[in-house]
Amino acid sequence: MAWLTGALASCIGTIEPAPGTSRRSDAPSELGPQTNARDDLAEAEQPVFPAPPTLHRLGVDELQNTLSDLLGPLTLRAELEPDTALKGFSSIGATELTIANTTAEKLEATALEAAQQVFADEKRRKALLGCAPGAIDDPCVQAFIARFGRRAFRRPLADDERAQMSTLAVDLARSLGDVNEALSYLTAAFLQSPHFVFRVEIGAPDPAVPGRLRYTGYEMASRLSYALWRSMPDDELLAAADEGALATREGVDLAAERMIASPRFRPSLRRFFSENLSLDRLSTLSKEPSVYPQLTPTLKKAMRAELERRFDDLVFTEDGDYRDLLDGRTTFVDAELAKLYGIAGVRGTALTRVELPADGLRAGILGSAALLAIQATATDTSPTRRGKFIRGQILCQEVSPPPAGTNFALSPVDANKTMRERLTVHRTSPSCAGCHARLDPLGLAFENFDGIGAFRATDRGMPIDASGTLDGEPFTGPVALLALLRAHPASARCVVRQLYRFASGHQETDDEERLFDGLTRAFAASGYRLPALMRALVTSDGFRFAASAMSGGTMR
Amino acid sequence: MTRRAVSRRTFLRGTLAGSAVALALPRLECMLDVNGTAYADGSELPTRFGVWFFGNGVRHEHWIPSEVGPSWQPKEQLAPLVDAGLKPHFSVISGLSVKTPFYVHHSGMTAITSGAPMKVVGKVRDTIVTTVSQPTIDMVAAQKLAGKTPFRSLELGVCKFRGTDEGTTFQYLSMNGPNNPNPPEYVPERLFERLFGLMPEDPRFAQITKARASVLDAVRGQIGALSQRVSAHDKQRLDQHFESVRAIERRLSTQGTNACAAPVRPSTPPDDDAKEPIAEKNALMSDLLAVALACDLTRVFTYCFDACGSATYFWQTNASDGMHQMCHKGRNDLVHRAVVFMMKQCARTLSTLRDTPEAGGSVLDNCAILVTSEHAEGDSHTQDDFPILLAGRGGGRLRTGLHVRSTTRENTSKALLTALRGAGVALPAFGHEEGRVTEGIAALEVS
Repeated sequence: MAWLTGALASCIGTIEPAPGTSRRSDAPSELGPQTNARDDLAEAEQPVFPAPPTLHRLGVDELQNTLSDLLGPLTLRAELEPDTALKGFSSIGATELTIANTTAEKLEATALEAAQQVFADEKRRKALLGCAPGAIDDPCVQAFIARFGRRAFRRPLADDERAQMSTLAVDLARSLGDVNEALSYLTAAFLQSPHFVFRVEIGAPDPAVPGRLRYTGYEMASRLSYALWRSMPDDELLAAADEGALATREGVDLAAERMIASPRFRPSLRRFFSENLSLDRLSTLSKEPSVYPQLTPTLKKAMRAELERRFDDLVFTEDGDYRDLLDGRTTFVDAELAKLYGIAGVRGTALTRVELPADGLRAGILGSAALLAIQATATDTSPTRRGKFIRGQILCQEVSPPPAGTNFALSPVDANKTMRERLTVHRTSPSCAGCHARLDPLGLAFENFDGIGAFRATDRGMPIDASGTLDGEPFTGPVALLALLRAHPASARCVVRQLYRFASGHQETDDEERLFDGLTRAFAASGYRLPALMRALVTSDGFRFAASAMSGGTMR
Repeated sequence: MTRRAVSRRTFLRGTLAGSAVALALPRLECMLDVNGTAYADGSELPTRFGVWFFGNGVRHEHWIPSEVGPSWQPKEQLAPLVDAGLKPHFSVISGLSVKTPFYVHHSGMTAITSGAPMKVVGKVRDTIVTTVSQPTIDMVAAQKLAGKTPFRSLELGVCKFRGTDEGTTFQYLSMNGPNNPNPPEYVPERLFERLFGLMPEDPRFAQITKARASVLDAVRGQIGALSQRVSAHDKQRLDQHFESVRAIERRLSTQGTNACAAPVRPSTPPDDDAKEPIAEKNALMSDLLAVALACDLTRVFTYCFDACGSATYFWQTNASDGMHQMCHKGRNDLVHRAVVFMMKQCARTLSTLRDTPEAGGSVLDNCAILVTSEHAEGDSHTQDDFPILLAGRGGGRLRTGLHVRSTTRENTSKALLTALRGAGVALPAFGHEEGRVTEGIAALEVS
C-alpha cells in the first residue's frame, strides 16, 4: 500500500482568499484635493493596498542589458551569479534574496571589466565622458558624474551623492596616477552601487489614499522598464519621469503603450513564458540513452526552440489569442524534431513552420516534445507529473503534496502492464485517490506520447485508452482535453496570476487578488492578447501603488 | 622564521590521487616546531570545519554497519570509503534522528545543516517554500575560525542540478540566515580563478588593490546610507550586501600575504548533456579544496556534492531517472547503486585531503568534516536514523575509526555539536528549539 496515512480531504486547494482575510483600508471619508483621486479609485470601490515596496535585485539578463544600454556592446569574461528562482519565478527570488559574497565578487569583476573595456577604446571613452579631461578637477568630470549617474541610478543623483563620487574620483586619480583610469574605476563604482544593482523602490505618500504609497516617477520608470524591457529606462522614459507624467494612470498607460509596441518588449514576455513552463529544466534533463537513443543534445535544443518560436509567432507575429497555445496546431520544427513528430519533408537545422495533422492527437504546447519530456521520467512516461503540471501550471490549482510519513513504496508492478493499469492503485485506493484521481487522468490523456514526446500507438503492446474526465467533464483523448482546458474558467485567470507574479516580483497578496477579476476581464476583452494583459497589469493599481511596509503586508 | 615570510614560490611536488601536481604547501617542516605540532612562531596549526553533502539519503540495510566500536565492517554503501583506506580517518554515527517538525526534505535539510526548524516563507504549486531559520553550521564555525584567512568560507558544488524553486532549502547548503545563501561555485575553472586569479606578481598589484578598495569603500557607504531608508526586510538584505562588499575589502588587505603559488589550472571535461562528467568534476573540485585548505585560504567549507532533493541523473550506475524521482519508486537497487557511486566520490574528496601532507600528518587530520544528507532513507523520505559520518581527527580532538550508534534515537544535533567541537569551536550547546542539544557524542570527543 502506498500511503500510510489517511485520505486527503482537501487535495486541490483553491487559491482564492479565505473570507474575511482581505485587508482593506478604513475607507477614507475625505479624499485629498488631487485631481487624479477618482481615477485611482476607478478600479475598485475600496482602494487596493498592494504589497509594500521592496528592492529588486537585477537579474543576470537585466544586468547584461543594462550594461550594454549604458556602455554599448560588451564582451565580458566575468560571469554573474545565476538567478535564483523562488515560487516559480526568478523575479521573486530577486526580491527575497540579497547580494551574497560571491555575488558581490562577481559584480565587482564584471563592473571593472566592463568599465575597462570602454575606457580602453579612445572613441568609446570620449563618447562616454563627453570630453577629454586633462585633470580630475576638470569641470567635465563633474558633468560626467551627473550625466552618467542619472542613467546608472535611473534618477538624478542627490547633491551628496555627486559630492561623494567626486571625492572618490580624486582619491582614485591619486592612487592610480592617471585620470582616465581613475574614471574607469569610478564608472565601476557606479556599476557596483546598490542603486545600480538593485531597483530601489521606496515610494511616496499617495495623495489620494491616506496610508498608501505611490511609486515615484523615477521608480515607476524603472518598474515599467524592467517589467517590459528587462533593462534600464531610455531617455524618453526618464524624461517622462522628470515631467511627472508617470504619476497618473494615463501617463503610465501612454508610456506602456509605446514600450509594448517596441521590439524590446519581446524578451520580457519570452522570459515569462519560459520560466513559467520551467523550460530551463530541459538543460538538466537526462534520459536513459538505451531507452531514448534519439534524444541528442541538438534535439533537446530544438524542443526548446520550438516552444519559444511558437510563442513568438503567436504572440508577436500573429498577435493571436493566447489560448491558441493550448490547442493550436501551427508549430516549428527542424529535421530532427520533425522526425520525432513523424512529419515528412523537413530538412536541416533551421526551424520550419508546419501544421500538425488536423486529425492527429498532437496539439498545443502540452503536446510538445519539450513539455512531454520534462514531465516524464528518464525511462518512461509519468501521467502523474503530466497531470500535476496541468493542475498547477495551466489551472493554477494547488495540489497538496503527499502527507508526512507517506511510504512511497508501491507494491511491485507487472512489467507487462500498461501505465494506466499500473496506476490503478493511485485512483482506486481511497488514500491515494483523493489527489491522484484529479491528477492521473489528465496525464493519462497523453499516454500516446512517450517519455520524450514521440507518438506511440500502444503501451507495452496494448492499445492506449486516453479518455478521462476533467472536473466532471468527460473527454475522449488529448485533443478533447485541450478544448476543455481552453474553455476552463481557471485557465485565463491562471495566466493573469502568473504574469502578475512575474511582473511584480512577488506572490499576490490577498488585497492584490482583488485585481484579478478586472485583469481577467481585460484579458478577455482583448481577445486574450498577452501584450494587452501586460498593459492592463502595469497600469493597474497593483503596479502603481504599494502598502507602507510599516502597515504590514500579507506577502511573504 | 614565521610562516608569512615563506616565499610564495615555496611549493612541493606532491601527488594528488596518484598524479603529480605542483602543489603549493606553505607549511613545510622547517616552519614547524620540533614536535611538528605547531608553527615555529608558536601559532597553532589550523583546524578546519567542513560539510560534504549529498541529497536524498541512503538505504539503511546497506549503510549501517552491524558492529559498533572499532571493528565495524562496511556494508556496500560505506565500502568505497573503506576500500580507499579511509577507515581509520572517519567515524560512523548512526541511530540519530531529526527532532524538528517534519516535512519531507525541508525539515531534514534545515535540521542537519543548522540544528533548527525550517522557516516556511510561502507556498507554490503543491508544496511549501522554505528557508533556514538560523545560520547553517558552517557559518557558526566561520564565526570562530574565519578572520585569519583570505576567505571566510568556501562553497563548492559538483552535480549541476540546481534545486527547485521550493526555497533556498533545496538550492543552497550554506546560509548566513533566512533567505541569505552563500552560493557554491560549480565550475572548477571559476573556483581556481577566484582562489588564484590576481596574484601579487602583477607589477601594479598595490595600486590596483588600493583603487579597488576605494571603490568598495564608497559602495559600502552607499549601502549603509540606503539601508536607513528601507523596510526591515530590505535592511536585512542590504546588511548582507554590506558584509559581502566588506569581505572583498578584507581579502584585498590580505592578498599578497598568501604564501601559496597557484596550482595547475583545472580543465573541466565537456558535458555532453546526457552524461554529466560528475566524477571528473568531483576530482577537480576535491583537488582545489585540498590546495585551498593546505594554503590556508580558508578554514571553513561546504561541499555540495549534490543538492537536497536533487534530480541528478546518475548515468554511471544506470539510473532509470533523476535520483529524487527514483526514490519515489519504492525500494529499488538503482537508488542503492547511486548511493554507492556518491560514496566513491566522497572517498575521492577525503582521500585527497588525506594524501595532502601537513605537519607530519595530513590536511584531513586537521579537519572535522560532517558527511550527511537531508533524509535518512530517500525512498521512504524519513528522518529517523540519519546517515552521518564525521571525517578527520580535528587536530587530535576527534576519535576516528569507530561506529557509534544511538539506541535511543538521540538528536542529530549532537553530531553537529561534536563536529564543531572537533574543529575547535568549543560550544556548550548547539541548535534551536527541538534541535537544541547541550551534549555532543562523548565517545568521539577527545576531552
